[in-house]
Amino acid sequence: MNSKFNQKQEWEQEFDAAAKRSLRERMRFAFISTYKPVLDDSKLRVFDTIEEYREWCQKNLPQYLGYWR
Amino acid sequence: MNKFSYEQGELLASVFNHWNVEYLFIGKSGAIFYGFPDTTQDADIFPAKNPENGRKLISALRELGYELNPEDELHLIAGKDFIQLRSGPFDLDLVFAPDGIETFADAQSRSLMIDGKFPVASLDDIIASKRAANRAKDRESLPRLEAFRDYLRSRNLTALPANPSESKS
Repeated sequence: MNSKFNQKQEWEQEFDAAAKRSLRERMRFAFISTYKPVLDDSKLRVFDTIEEYREWCQKNLPQYLGYWR
Repeated sequence: MNKFSYEQGELLASVFNHWNVEYLFIGKSGAIFYGFPDTTQDADIFPAKNPENGRKLISALRELGYELNPEDELHLIAGKDFIQLRSGPFDLDLVFAPDGIETFADAQSRSLMIDGKFPVASLDDIIASKRAANRAKDRESLPRLEAFRDYLRSRNLTALPANPSESKS
């Protein structure tokens, strides 16, 4: 068995497990709350364009948050 | 900051319906409504971009408890492409122009009402949007999200059942 096949099998097992839970339960596990530096430091941010938002993320957020392209 | 929950989703849907806001859940939060087992921190909303919908959205957000000043309201009426709200009961990202989706009407025509109350952009649109956004976190989650879409298709499902115990009986 190759690793790609193993990965697919593992994901399918996770999907099977999710299918046994209600939407309410799935949402309880899915939404988490942790502090994200910079991103969570303002009550409201507005960007005229999505591109402007992407550039702001690239320039201001730590790379490990995953918002960099 | 409270986590977004099913109950908050219900409240949002009820208040948005009351004010006739045109919107869809999108992003990873949208995929979670389909049953995608993953984690996220905020709810992403794709509202229709027009001044009338913006005004309805302001009324709905105020009712939900978001603090909005007059300048914020102008941004909502204008439908600025991306508005990040951290001033209410849960984190909300308003994406008026998501990557990879032409128009709200297009997305709405392909959307699905989950559990009878949550309007969610199609999984294909959510995937297309993540592919176009092409951030590190999108690239990381895409293969598993595509596998989830394939999983549903192979079982002739549009989404995982909202209440599996009821669907068995």
